[in-house]
Amino acid sequence: MSRIKSVLGNERGFMLLNVVFLTVITSLAAMILMNAAPRARNHQSTLRLTAIYLANEQFAELESLAAREDISGSQPFLGNKDDLTSNNLGANNPIEFKVTTTVSGGRAKVKVTWQVGDDEFKIEMERTIGIVQE
Amino acid sequence: MFRNNGGGFVVAEFAIALPLLILLMYGLATVGVESFWFGKRQLADYVLEAEAQSVMEQIRQAARTAREVEISPGGGWVKFVYHVVKDKPKIEVTSLNGHYVFINNDVLETQYFMLYAKSGRDAPNLYAERQDNHTPTNPITGENYFGDTQVNYLKCEVDEAKKILHISLEMESLVTLHKIKFDTAVYMPNYKAGG
Repeated sequence: MSRIKSVLGNERGFMLLNVVFLTVITSLAAMILMNAAPRARNHQSTLRLTAIYLANEQFAELESLAAREDISGSQPFLGNKDDLTSNNLGANNPIEFKVTTTVSGGRAKVKVTWQVGDDEFKIEMERTIGIVQE
Repeated sequence: MFRNNGGGFVVAEFAIALPLLILLMYGLATVGVESFWFGKRQLADYVLEAEAQSVMEQIRQAARTAREVEISPGGGWVKFVYHVVKDKPKIEVTSLNGHYVFINNDVLETQYFMLYAKSGRDAPNLYAERQDNHTPTNPITGENYFGDTQVNYLKCEVDEAKKILHISLEMESLVTLHKIKFDTAVYMPNYKAGG
């Protein structure tokens, strides 16, 4: 105890204490910032979900169309055109989705792409289109 | 008081370090509070997204095998009658050697999805019911501990020629006031127009 007192009793001891305090404060700051970093809002999961529902809409339309005519080849987006625009990123920032479809051998591939700022995102889904007969 | 060695070094050090320390701690406190506040809002948004997704999936499931779809004119509820084929083992008396005969029983199930604001709440929640209850009992959205939500609208529209059900759902978080809207369509191979 007396040795600690004698170390802290002079200037060098005070500076040592300073270093210890600074280390503690810095690590505290780092902890708080690391906690805050992943909490920046990430809209991608919502937009991806929107895109998946859009792809499912296209699959439903393809299934319906397949019961009536041949759907092989590339197809335009057959669903509701208004559904291609989503405000899920924020009210003043609508996102446009693009849907491209190719059908071959009874299997449909749907690709949905969208752009946030300069970044492009996409999902690709595939499904076998069966024909339901009456 | 500070007349001893060092010529006031400690005082000078202290005079510089204290305001710096206060500034630093203030900044840290701000970041800390902001991060907790952010976290709370993010949980509420997560609840919103999860609830919207679970509602969409439940409706999709019911619609896929639906035979009849009935939509209230005001958009307050949608009713699905879907069929479940159940294999019921039954011993046929006249069967050979008492073998089981599996008979396909066509079982029709009814599922309602209705918007309803229970008393004391002005925001409607979505309820899944087996019958048209005037006071629904089985809520599937809202009143989550991490963030309350409301359903702004649930629009269902049947394209009878194509046998397609278009579903649009918009939900809003009552914590962040963020809105989320999903649109999809379901092909209903069993659908019979007019029931």
